[in-house]
Amino acid sequence: MLLAVVPAYNEEERIACVIKKLQDHVDHIVVIDDASKDNTVKVARLAGATVLEHKINRGQGAALETGHEYARLVGAEYILHFDGDDQMHPEDIAPALAHMKEQKALVLFGSRLLDGRSTLPWFKRMILLPIGKMINFLFVRAHLSDVHNGFRLFHAQVLAVMVIEQDRMAHATEIPAKVIALNLPYVEFPIKVTYHEYGQSARGGFTILKDLLFSKFIS
Amino acid sequence: MIIIFQALFSIFVLFVLSTIVQKKKQGLLGKKGFLFWVVFWMIALLAVFWPESMSQLASFMGIGRGVDVVIYSALVIIFFLLFHLHIKIESIGRDITFLTREMALMDEKKNSKL
Repeated sequence: MLLAVVPAYNEEERIACVIKKLQDHVDHIVVIDDASKDNTVKVARLAGATVLEHKINRGQGAALETGHEYARLVGAEYILHFDGDDQMHPEDIAPALAHMKEQKALVLFGSRLLDGRSTLPWFKRMILLPIGKMINFLFVRAHLSDVHNGFRLFHAQVLAVMVIEQDRMAHATEIPAKVIALNLPYVEFPIKVTYHEYGQSARGGFTILKDLLFSKFIS
Repeated sequence: MIIIFQALFSIFVLFVLSTIVQKKKQGLLGKKGFLFWVVFWMIALLAVFWPESMSQLASFMGIGRGVDVVIYSALVIIFFLLFHLHIKIESIGRDITFLTREMALMDEKKNSKL
């Protein structure tokens, strides 16, 4: 079973479209609503997804781990991380999964920079991504072409040994760090992202750095 | 003047110490925390009643005045406590996340055949 884990916060306008598009590409969809103030839960349920509701907003990392816990319970074989803001394209899923199987990898990281299909805002491409890449290298010790890309595929074996502990956005650094620390085979794969909104800001980057540093002291 | 300050400070320290003992009895303060705060306020009391002790400590540490030792130490302690508090808050945040997750999954288990 290929399970799509879709974290969502105030996505009532786009979540139905994401679910409808995903339905032809995955076996099951679980939306983790992170205490949205709008009708995300209702809209996602009507569109046909299983919806898990966080009563308090805990961040994207926390929502993804809730999705992982659900995947463990239902016994999903493959788990896909897919954003709820309709910026990713489900047509990338099948070739990504095929590539992952072909390469005998257990993890696949999507990348916006391996082909020219994604158009990144200038500031993000020239300033934020290179800085993010440097910080990522400090914590992850691996060269990934794209930092903080929400498109990921995992085999169930990964979920058996890896738990996401970063509640907010630092999970995007934590995941590759753990994949490398656990010596799990991984690949990168080009995916397309179409921007509706800007996404991660420079301030968000500082929060990630702070979260990563402080997490070293939490047992 | 110094006598009035010493008297007021002593009353304040007595009040703080009674609070510390109370918190320990209620189980809100661990052994280490209890010891830290008792020693901390005892040193504060020592500094107020015998200011020269701080001057001696200052000259021993190569710092100009006794009052500077107190200020530097206070700053270090405040930074340490802030750091400690931040870690504690983050740790509580993770506990809240765990509970939020359990509740979300529990609701789903109730509603489906999970």
